[in-house]
Amino acid sequence: MQNIPISLAAPGMVVAREIKTSEDPSSMTLCGKGVKLTESLIDRLRQMGMQSITVEGHPIKMEGEVSLDEMLAALDKRFSRVTDDPLMMKIREMYRRNILRDLGGA
Amino acid sequence: MDNKRTEIRRIIRDTKSLPTLPGVIAKLSSLADNHTISSQEMARVVNTDQVLSAKVLKLVNSAFYGFSGRVSTVSNALILLGVNVVKSLAISSSIFEIMEKNVVGLWEHSMGVAVAANVMAKRLKLPEPEETSTAALLHDIGKVIIKIKLEEDFNKLTAHINDKGLMMIEAERELLETDHAEIGEWLAQTWLLPEKLSEPIACHHNVERSVVHQTKTAVVHVADVLIKASAFGFSGDDVVPRIQPVAWKKLGLTEALLESIIEEVEGKLVEVKNFSLEVQAGDEPKA
Repeated sequence: MQNIPISLAAPGMVVAREIKTSEDPSSMTLCGKGVKLTESLIDRLRQMGMQSITVEGHPIKMEGEVSLDEMLAALDKRFSRVTDDPLMMKIREMYRRNILRDLGGA
Repeated sequence: MDNKRTEIRRIIRDTKSLPTLPGVIAKLSSLADNHTISSQEMARVVNTDQVLSAKVLKLVNSAFYGFSGRVSTVSNALILLGVNVVKSLAISSSIFEIMEKNVVGLWEHSMGVAVAANVMAKRLKLPEPEETSTAALLHDIGKVIIKIKLEEDFNKLTAHINDKGLMMIEAERELLETDHAEIGEWLAQTWLLPEKLSEPIACHHNVERSVVHQTKTAVVHVADVLIKASAFGFSGDDVVPRIQPVAWKKLGLTEALLESIIEEVEGKLVEVKNFSLEVQAGDEPKA
């Protein structure tokens, strides 16, 4: 699944996580899991002020998005000046796990 | 002999050459010194400039401050955020207008750092999280000045960074004999920004130098490192600097806490991207 800004939502995408009016679990559900998006549904979500939604698969190739290997290589390169710093190496691992989780499961 | 540093200093002193701040801000500053004035009266001043109040409300309701969609009037914004923050928001929205169009990467980087700083300040239960976000939003303002006032030098910096794999600040010191933190500090003085904003701008690469507002400076410093690690936006180079031990200690951070902060920030960056796309789309003429 992929979390995408509402501005990139398109008809045909399938909602992967229930859309609620707020983060509060007791708030109103606007759209259930598994619903296929339509133009009018997207419009309505936008009017309700939704910022982002989670959809099935990995339909949006974000600007500048690259393959998993390239992303991991770029991460290592960004941290290349601080390989002697144990804390920074732990932080690099945190970001590596995030990348693997977001892209690995797509 | 005149050097580059003196030249840049002169550019900043010459306020006429700087991006103009709406007259409303000067009025707001003079009102802010008068303690008997009510926030309603201040709101009225801001409301006289409709474009400005729309921009302020847009920023207040963005992911940076965590009030998403709940602040509908300038008077509410003043009560929730205080006059200094609203004043800085008015300034940043004027400056960022230039940034949005010319340096989208830097604008996104700045917004990302503002969100990260806000998350961190709230998790650590620090006072004045909104002021910290605002300082974070403005931390690289010196780079904007280099970009708009010294375009040729900015291009040389970019080439130098690419050739040698430098950080922006290193390239600036080599080529300009000053850096964006110092330029930002001068700018903050010219604009009479409060110390709690100017100190993080001036010291975000050297937290030790920050004396009065070291906590805010430390937050902005760590937030900057995280957003560079995440490669969200583009600050001018893609080198992640180390978190300065003095900042880590000052904030009492732990690895577990930092990991959960990173988690929360990463989730919010989608909203920031959305906000940036919306703002850019809004600049195009309506059909």
